Amino acid sequence: MDARNFTFMFYGFLAAWLIVLLYVISLARRGARLNRELEQVKQLIGADRASEPARLEDRSR
Amino acid sequence: MAIELRTKESINAAGAFAVVILLLFSFAFDPGADATREIGGGLLWLVFAFAGALIFNRGFARELPNDCLDTLLSSAVSGASLLLGKSFANLLMLLAVEFLSLFVFGIFYDVRWWLRPLELAALCVLATWGISVIGAVFGALTVNLRLRELMLPVIIYPLLIPLLIAAIEITNALFSNRPLGSYELLWGRVLLVFDIVFTALAMALAETILVN
Amino acid sequence: MRDKFVVALAVAAGVLLAFNLYRIFLVLPDEALQGAIYRIIFFHVPAAITGMIGYFAALLLSLAYLSFGNFRYDSLAASVVEVSVVFSVVNIVTGSIWARVIWGIWWTWDYRLTSALVCVLIFSGYLMLRRAIDEPTQRARLSAALCVFGCIDVVIVWKSIEWFRTQHPGPVLSIRTGGGRIDPAMEQMLYLNFAAILMIAIALVLIRTRQEATAREIDSLRRIANAA
Repeated sequence: MDARNFTFMFYGFLAAWLIVLLYVISLARRGARLNRELEQVKQLIGADRASEPARLEDRSR
Repeated sequence: MAIELRTKESINAAGAFAVVILLLFSFAFDPGADATREIGGGLLWLVFAFAGALIFNRGFARELPNDCLDTLLSSAVSGASLLLGKSFANLLMLLAVEFLSLFVFGIFYDVRWWLRPLELAALCVLATWGISVIGAVFGALTVNLRLRELMLPVIIYPLLIPLLIAAIEITNALFSNRPLGSYELLWGRVLLVFDIVFTALAMALAETILVN
Repeated sequence: MRDKFVVALAVAAGVLLAFNLYRIFLVLPDEALQGAIYRIIFFHVPAAITGMIGYFAALLLSLAYLSFGNFRYDSLAASVVEVSVVFSVVNIVTGSIWARVIWGIWWTWDYRLTSALVCVLIFSGYLMLRRAIDEPTQRARLSAALCVFGCIDVVIVWKSIEWFRTQHPGPVLSIRTGGGRIDPAMEQMLYLNFAAILMIAIALVLIRTRQEATAREIDSLRRIANAA
């Protein structure tokens, strides 16, 4: 009885920690993905701004 | 509502669906008279909830083609009246389906549901109003979503749990022809509170919900 | 500045947790009737309370968004709901494991368990709804409405299922019973662990909110890029 008691207590703590850990990992991955996307979009805007004068010239013709 | 009366597409579909589900349930367990009377309430209200989802899905979706929804929203009708109207339409359609289901249920499961007609009618109207209001509100909220048919049931069923429990408990008492004791009246109060609170909330948030 | 605060909070929570774990396993004695398994309560109950506080906070934040239209309230509400759902799941799972030993069953339709499950279902629906809507204003508005309906429903569910079924242990914290039903050392441990878990929850919420702000920034930059 006691051994089973301890085993389940261990499972209980394991479950609690595992759930929170999985959530923290998913949070970390989502954060990394968002930062990557942010960099990409910033670069995209930078590239757009660099080619803008050329486009304006095109439009005025 | 007028469209619905002319084409009856929602009621037909929901009615057929309800009958099929009742049939399927008869395979799930052996419908002996005593057992059925105790669980009949649960069976019926689950069927009504599923049929309701079908009706609510169509409710606002019907307005989508030809920008009818935008026309409705920019008209002089207030948001609250629009929601109330939709809820009332839902109520009538669902009550029709419920009436049909009760007939079929009585025949398939040999339950005499007509023994306490007034109480049953009052219960049906109260509980169905609650379902209709929630259905109208979340039907409006999900009208533009890609996965509307899936999201609507997922959202409204957990919200409807207290209402369904109340309806089931009272229905079981009515089917077993037990007098409505304090336990059932407690659930009646839950039903009333649910209806009042969510109708008021829907009215209060109507403008927010319906802005496109 | 805010990053430093989050890190400091997480570290403080970690230290407190370590101290609590030491005390839970090595200092506190086994409970007379339950044996060792009772120690789960030190995570089970604080997780439940954290979840409930989260949902209530989300209700206030959703009402604030509906009143003022500031997207920060929406981001905060979404983050709080997400973290609360995680802790509610912890609550249900740990409770289930405890029940397996004490009651011999993984689950029972007692009112507190059923209400907890309904909570998780309603707010999982909230999170699913958010993922299904791309447009930020519509997403904020709809999720705020669902949150308000959901929170009020939780109150009704709680009370109604309480009348319906009761098997779960009754209140033991002395703030509710006036003392005498739980060992003071254990009660103190409960409050200490609750503090640690709350700190972790707040740190997670802040991190998540920052991510929501980043997502909004990406969105607005994309619009600028498309417009150009």
